[in-house]
Amino acid sequence: MLTDAPPRPRPAAARTARQSRRAPRVAGAWPYLLVLPTVAGVVLLLVYPLVRSLVISVQHFRIGELIRGGAPFVGLDNYRELVGSAEFWQVIARTLVWTVVNVVLIMVISTAVALMLARLGRRMRLAVMSGLVLAWAVPVLAATTVFQWLFQSRLGVVNWLLTSVGLDQFEGFAWFADGAATFTILVVLVVWQSVPFAALTLYAGLTTVPDELFESARIDGANARQTFRLVTFPMLRPLFGLITSLEIIWVFKCFAQIWAVSQGGPSGATTTLPVYAFQVAQSLHKYDLGAAISTFTVVLLLVVLVPHLRHLYRNEGAQA
Amino acid sequence: MKLRLVAAPAVLALACSLAACDSGGDAPSASGSPEPAALTVWFMKDSFSDDIVSTFESDFEAAHPGTTLDIQIQEWDGIGQRVTSALASKDAPDVIEVGNTQVAEYAASGGVVDLSDKVDDLGGSDWIPGLAEPGKIDGKQYGIPWYAANRVVIYNKDLFSVAGITAPPTTRAAWIDDTTKLNAGGNQGIYLPGQNWYTLAGFVWDEGGDLAAQDGGTWKGTLDTPEALAGMAFYKQLQALGQGPKDSDEANPPQADVFATGKVAQIISSPGGAVAITKANPKLEGKLGFFPIPGKEAGTPGAVFTGGSDLVIPEASQHQELAYEVVKALAGEDFQTAMAPVMSYVPNKTSYASVLAGNEGASAMAVGAANGHATPNSPNWAAVEAKNVIKEYQTKALTGSDAAGDAAAASQQITEILNTDS
Amino acid sequence: MRRSWVRQLPVNVAAVVVLVATVFPVYWMVVTAFKPTTDINAATPQLLPLHPTLGHFRDAIGVDGFWRYWRNSALVSVSAVVLALVIGLMSAFAVARMRWRGRKGFVLMVFIAQMAPWEALLIPMFIIARDVGMLDKLSMLTLIYFVATLPFTIVTLRGFLAAVPPELEEAAQLDGASRFEAFRRIVFPLLAPGLMSTSLFGFITAWNEFAFANALIIKDQGNRTLPVWLSSFSNVFGTDWGATMAASTLFMLPVLAIFLVLQRRVTGGIVAGAVKG
Repeated sequence: MLTDAPPRPRPAAARTARQSRRAPRVAGAWPYLLVLPTVAGVVLLLVYPLVRSLVISVQHFRIGELIRGGAPFVGLDNYRELVGSAEFWQVIARTLVWTVVNVVLIMVISTAVALMLARLGRRMRLAVMSGLVLAWAVPVLAATTVFQWLFQSRLGVVNWLLTSVGLDQFEGFAWFADGAATFTILVVLVVWQSVPFAALTLYAGLTTVPDELFESARIDGANARQTFRLVTFPMLRPLFGLITSLEIIWVFKCFAQIWAVSQGGPSGATTTLPVYAFQVAQSLHKYDLGAAISTFTVVLLLVVLVPHLRHLYRNEGAQA
Repeated sequence: MKLRLVAAPAVLALACSLAACDSGGDAPSASGSPEPAALTVWFMKDSFSDDIVSTFESDFEAAHPGTTLDIQIQEWDGIGQRVTSALASKDAPDVIEVGNTQVAEYAASGGVVDLSDKVDDLGGSDWIPGLAEPGKIDGKQYGIPWYAANRVVIYNKDLFSVAGITAPPTTRAAWIDDTTKLNAGGNQGIYLPGQNWYTLAGFVWDEGGDLAAQDGGTWKGTLDTPEALAGMAFYKQLQALGQGPKDSDEANPPQADVFATGKVAQIISSPGGAVAITKANPKLEGKLGFFPIPGKEAGTPGAVFTGGSDLVIPEASQHQELAYEVVKALAGEDFQTAMAPVMSYVPNKTSYASVLAGNEGASAMAVGAANGHATPNSPNWAAVEAKNVIKEYQTKALTGSDAAGDAAAASQQITEILNTDS
Repeated sequence: MRRSWVRQLPVNVAAVVVLVATVFPVYWMVVTAFKPTTDINAATPQLLPLHPTLGHFRDAIGVDGFWRYWRNSALVSVSAVVLALVIGLMSAFAVARMRWRGRKGFVLMVFIAQMAPWEALLIPMFIIARDVGMLDKLSMLTLIYFVATLPFTIVTLRGFLAAVPPELEEAAQLDGASRFEAFRRIVFPLLAPGLMSTSLFGFITAWNEFAFANALIIKDQGNRTLPVWLSSFSNVFGTDWGATMAASTLFMLPVLAIFLVLQRRVTGGIVAGAVKG
């Protein structure tokens, strides 16, 4: 917030000087006491389980060890087995495709919807925004159930619609039997669930851009595309960054929808990394391999989001 | 009776005071019989009718004053995870029903009480092998045989007579003819969901094929043999004579409910499925018939999978002695002879089989049982089921055009799963 | 400024398309819930409930334990959210208003915690819960949901706090109020909308959560939550899509109600945080 960002690296002496100048902002032990419960919670219920997971991933830990205990240390065997399995790399590739497809669709559609909202009349805008809120509010599992009902092969309304516009091959079409079709439905479902948040937030952001900027762009003769590229996007860049990162995290980690609709099937066509970890651990009782997959998941997420984290971290410096 | 009524409050009071200071052990009380406790028992969905369950509960509670049974009905979906979690917990349910294809895995895990020394007490020499064998690992008996069943065809007598069919078919050819006739006028000839893999297994065995074969120490999936492919081809032909969903199994939606609409002529189910049908639609009472799944030739019934359940007591049960009392009652003569005719199940001992005389469903089942088979005997088989390998293969073969290729891929998967060491 | 009707036409058409696409699935769910089964199973779907019935809602509510599961879900969600708000506010205050060594590290930890793939921790969490005797306990679920929603709570609350000028507090302190009093009297009222909107996200996360509720509630099935119950629907209701949709509708209602009240503030808060940052 404040503009006096210290030069990096800051000399320790300078910091002390500045701190003493702003004495009311230094509160001794208080900040540590205030963040203590958070740190304790995160350490006990996030860091500690992560460490346990890491330990399991270097053990032989199957159903017997879960029940009896006494898992032997096996070094990196589990990681070696994973890296050596073609299925694992397929899953990684599929997860990346899944994430990219969803996030791109979500961002493009949300931006379009946000821009559209800005141009609508008052009443229409209210209607669309209410619709978005409605879709946003539907709990994940309820939405999942509804989509299964929409795409049901015999009585589903989607097949009825497609058949009645003349696409007879959809008569009784079994969507969830076909890998590509199931993947598509899941993409539609996730995009449908994610667009409202992104679109409404982007729209709210749009309303903060001063009108004069658009005005002057128009006077300069910019068309809609140029206005977006030269005015809207640069103004909202932090917001785009934030939403994209959030969507990447959410889509990448997406589990409940996939599990409820297809359990990763048919034939693994919708098995992304979280689903794969669950399958390996819970269905096949290979908890050790599942833990190794979890390690990969964490590392992969960190790598993908490092730019975002660096940005945030740098901002911390600017803000302090 | 009167005596017990009078005694009950006193015993109850005693039980409560004991329970209050009880530290969780299951040490026998002074009288030698286990202390009363609240027991939790897991039965699988649709294993028994509500009547049988509640009768058993009240009988057992009456015979063991102070003890209460909480019988929880478990869904098949995700059951492997739930049972494993229960076995791994510190306070598990006291008795669990486990499918006979899955009991080996739990027995091998070390989370289940070894009941070898109780076999004589339970009269184990007379158990039917299809249930006793899977419950036994390294000569120790972990799973106690409970009940068995194999699949038959349940048919709607009204629809058969409307179609002019007087006697149930006894060969595959006649079966296809009849089903084609029945599949008309808004009725379904047969409701066969695409992923009823036990039925597919039967057709594969009919052709002389199998799901997997063991050669020396290694397993090999065999869904891609010509015999197995012929079984799949017949499944496809039959499946088309109705509107069974190609991408789902008999539990989703429950086929008994579909049959209960009255517009389905046949389903393939264990005879006990009739209970669920008449529960959903009481009007069908008395209109249900049963016949063995037809084989390739008259005189040879179709091959069937011998399904069934064992009972196990988790090591983590807090009341193992009382739990054994429950197992003993469930595996004992009273319960077995009472439930078998109602549910049309095969009881756990051959000597009880006479109670099924005159039971239409059970006699159809008995014919088929002569050609009964089991799934490949490997602790890893449960993983093949959990990964839905065969089910997904069926859907692909039914909806796609390259059954042989799909079969080869599925066989490869089975090979991999069965050959991993646990 | 009034644009001509013709020029606005394409935008309005697009708006209608978006509206239909967002609303239809929800509409279809509610409509199906009100249709009698014969209409649901009709070959030609009816867009309107011509013979509305409450039967499916009766079926859904009549299922053993519905209210109990509903109550469990509400209890767990609300407790987790309240906990996250109180503790999150403390941290947000420390981050937004105080200088201390380790502040940047703490913020980074919060950001990273926000990305945690929780489902990957099912097994270790199961083992931990078992070893400390917390299996089958709603309190364990509450704690997990609390930590899962905490990072987001801190990040957004900090955004709201940043929007309140520190000078207000300082002025109050100059007038002799203690720091805590200044916060309580000046900042807290201004922060109330932010607190409410932040709680929404936490509530939804907890209300929806399935994997942990499914894995950690084993023997004591009276402690199940609604999502676990909803997931076993195909088994509970069979082919009864009407009851399934009725139950889904009932599952959605509380979230929808809170949402309608708070939606505007939520997006506002995120924008405030992001644009400023």
